[in-house]
Amino acid sequence: MELDKSFAVAFAGMSAQSERLKVIAENLANADSTAQTPDADPYKRKIVTFENVLDRSLGVETVRVANVKTIDEGFGRRYEPGHPAADATGYVKTPNVNSITELMDMREAQRSYEANLNIIDAAKSMLGRIIDLLHG
Amino acid sequence: MAIDVNTAINAYANANRIASGAAPATGAGTGTGFAKLLQQAGAGVVDALNKSEASSLQAVTGKADLAAVTEAITNAQVALQTVVAVRDRVIAAYQDIMKMPM
Repeated sequence: MELDKSFAVAFAGMSAQSERLKVIAENLANADSTAQTPDADPYKRKIVTFENVLDRSLGVETVRVANVKTIDEGFGRRYEPGHPAADATGYVKTPNVNSITELMDMREAQRSYEANLNIIDAAKSMLGRIIDLLHG
Repeated sequence: MAIDVNTAINAYANANRIASGAAPATGAGTGTGFAKLLQQAGAGVVDALNKSEASSLQAVTGKADLAAVTEAITNAQVALQTVVAVRDRVIAAYQDIMKMPM
C-alpha cells in the first residue's frame, strides 16, 4: 500500500534528523572545549551528510545519515596566558564551533522533523478516511 | 443489473488482495478462497501486532528508537482497522442476505 510506504519514508527522515540534532548538540555542548596541551587541537566541529537509500522491500527511496564529517580547520584564537593549552605567545586555540550557525542548523533539523511528522499525520488521516468509507 | 453473491465475494477478495499488496485476481473466486484470504489477513494483523509489541518492549528497555516503535504501532493499527472494517462489511452483507424473505 502506497500510504504505508510514506510512513516508512517519513520515519526514516525523522531518524536521520534526530541523528543530526544529536551531532548539533555535541557541537554546541563542546563550543568551549579547548585542548589540554599547546600542540593539541581543541574540539572539532562535526557535520552530518545525508544520502538517499533504496529500500528494496518497499521500493522507495528513504534517507539515512551517510557519515559524520569532522571539520579540522578554522579554529579561533583567544589570548589567555596561563591556560594549560596556551602557546608561547599566550594564545589558546578555540573550537571552530559558531553557536549561531549551530542554532540555525538546529532549527532546520527541528523543522524537517516536523515536516516528516506532518507527512505521517496526513497519511494517517488519509488511511483513516478510506477505512471510514469501507465502514459505510 | 444482476449481481450474484459470487461477484460480491470476488470483490471483497480482491479488496483484500490489494490491501495485502498483491495484484487483484480477475478469475472467479469461491467461498472457501475468501475464507482463506480472511485468514491470511488475520494472520497479517497478528504479525503486525506482534511486531509492534516486540518493538514496544525494546523501547522500554531503551534499545529501540521511538520513531521505530511508532512506525510499528501505526502499521499494526492501520492493518487492524482495515481488517475490522472488511469483517464488518462482510457480516453486514451476510445479514442482509439472511434477512431476505424466502
